[in-house]
Amino acid sequence: MLEYLTAIGDALPYLLQGSLVTIALVVGAMALGLVIGILLAVGLVYGPPYIRALFSMYVWFFRGVPLLVLLFLFYFGLFTLVGINISAFTAAVIVLGLISSAYQSQIFRGGILSLPEGQLKAARALGMSDGKAICSIVLPQALRLSIPGWSNEYSIVLKDSAIAYALGVAEVMARAHFVASRTYQHLPLYFTAGVIFLILTYMGTKALRVLEERLRIPGYMR
Amino acid sequence: MRAMGEQKEVLKVEKVTKKYASKEVVKEASLAVNEGEIKVLIGPSGGGKSTLLQCINFLVTPDKGRIWLEGKEVLHSQKKNLYEYRQKVGMIFQDFNLFDHLTALGNVEIALLKVRKMTKKDARDRAVAELERVGLRDHIRKYPAQLSGGQKQRVSIARALAMDPKVMLLDEPTSALDPELITEVHAVIKALGAEGMTMVMATHQIGFASHLADEMLFMEDGIIVETGAPAKLLLQAEYARTREFCAKLTGRYGETR
Repeated sequence: MLEYLTAIGDALPYLLQGSLVTIALVVGAMALGLVIGILLAVGLVYGPPYIRALFSMYVWFFRGVPLLVLLFLFYFGLFTLVGINISAFTAAVIVLGLISSAYQSQIFRGGILSLPEGQLKAARALGMSDGKAICSIVLPQALRLSIPGWSNEYSIVLKDSAIAYALGVAEVMARAHFVASRTYQHLPLYFTAGVIFLILTYMGTKALRVLEERLRIPGYMR
Repeated sequence: MRAMGEQKEVLKVEKVTKKYASKEVVKEASLAVNEGEIKVLIGPSGGGKSTLLQCINFLVTPDKGRIWLEGKEVLHSQKKNLYEYRQKVGMIFQDFNLFDHLTALGNVEIALLKVRKMTKKDARDRAVAELERVGLRDHIRKYPAQLSGGQKQRVSIARALAMDPKVMLLDEPTSALDPELITEVHAVIKALGAEGMTMVMATHQIGFASHLADEMLFMEDGIIVETGAPAKLLLQAEYARTREFCAKLTGRYGETR
């Protein structure tokens, strides 16, 4: 037992530094996924047929190919082919973000579709263009409704980010693996890595819960 | 009847037709509204009143027909022209359609800020004034979910008025309200009429409408069957169907003025 605790104690600062890398990965990927996901959702709901078909294919692709395949495909394949020289970290953020955008688009699409049709009608009746109506009337409501689903997506991206270790990104999992294979203290190290992920999940979902509460529209029943 | 010659025609609708699948919901409906006039559409539910009103500001795109505002034809396929036209046409919906994420004030302000590009202060002053006009001075900070149905409809009227509309379209403004809330909305509409607002209203409140309307239009199966002064339409309608409908309505709904 003491041996385990010592192993954890020795590795903890190193692992915690890794948790900062994990956080950066997740924040980057979620932010990229948010921006692209909103565009996808708006296009999927309001876009002309060819946009809808195109965006549906995008969603199909990024939801359909395994994360590890996409990471290798982009990092070792595509980026090398095109001659873009980016770090493993950046590549992981981009790939995680693109995949998340596909999932986020469906969360936001659900939010948009759950609004009464009259909201858009009333905005149009006031002389708003569809763009303005979507930005100032539809999205503020749809995004509020999307927070619970988004919180789900956060916890998934957080866990998926561990796979970035396969590209050599020094996040929590990579560091745990690195130390464990040198010291043979597999149990305490992977246990600690797991606990770090659990804590990050808790912190993130808790923060989103607070955000949801803050943005709640007064007068609605819980 | 008012004196004719000096009357300015605000809105003209010519032969508007709307088909859903193979059913013609509105068939060649035409009407003209002069400045300060109030026209009331009556007729059975599903008769096309609501679709006609929504065709007038192109929330529903008509298949055929032309529309003029103050003598200028609305070219609804040109977006800029359409958006400018809609700003001048106030629309009141049966189920209010207030923006649920905004306060009463926010609901009235938003188009002033985003469409009219007014400064924050000007928009706020105007919005407060309009809400005051419909008797909601004490409720400006409330969200739609915190307001009664009658208050919601009054906010939606304030929201439309803030855009200085040339004509207002009211689509059964009190049909979704409890009987005791109808009065407060009727009072606001009546006051608007007294101030000279040009209006086209669909309603089942015959008693109220007959006191307000310059002319009533009976609409059934997508066709404007008969048009005339309220007294004529309600008591001496030409068509048996109009008579039958009016007799039933006055009996069933009674008076709410």
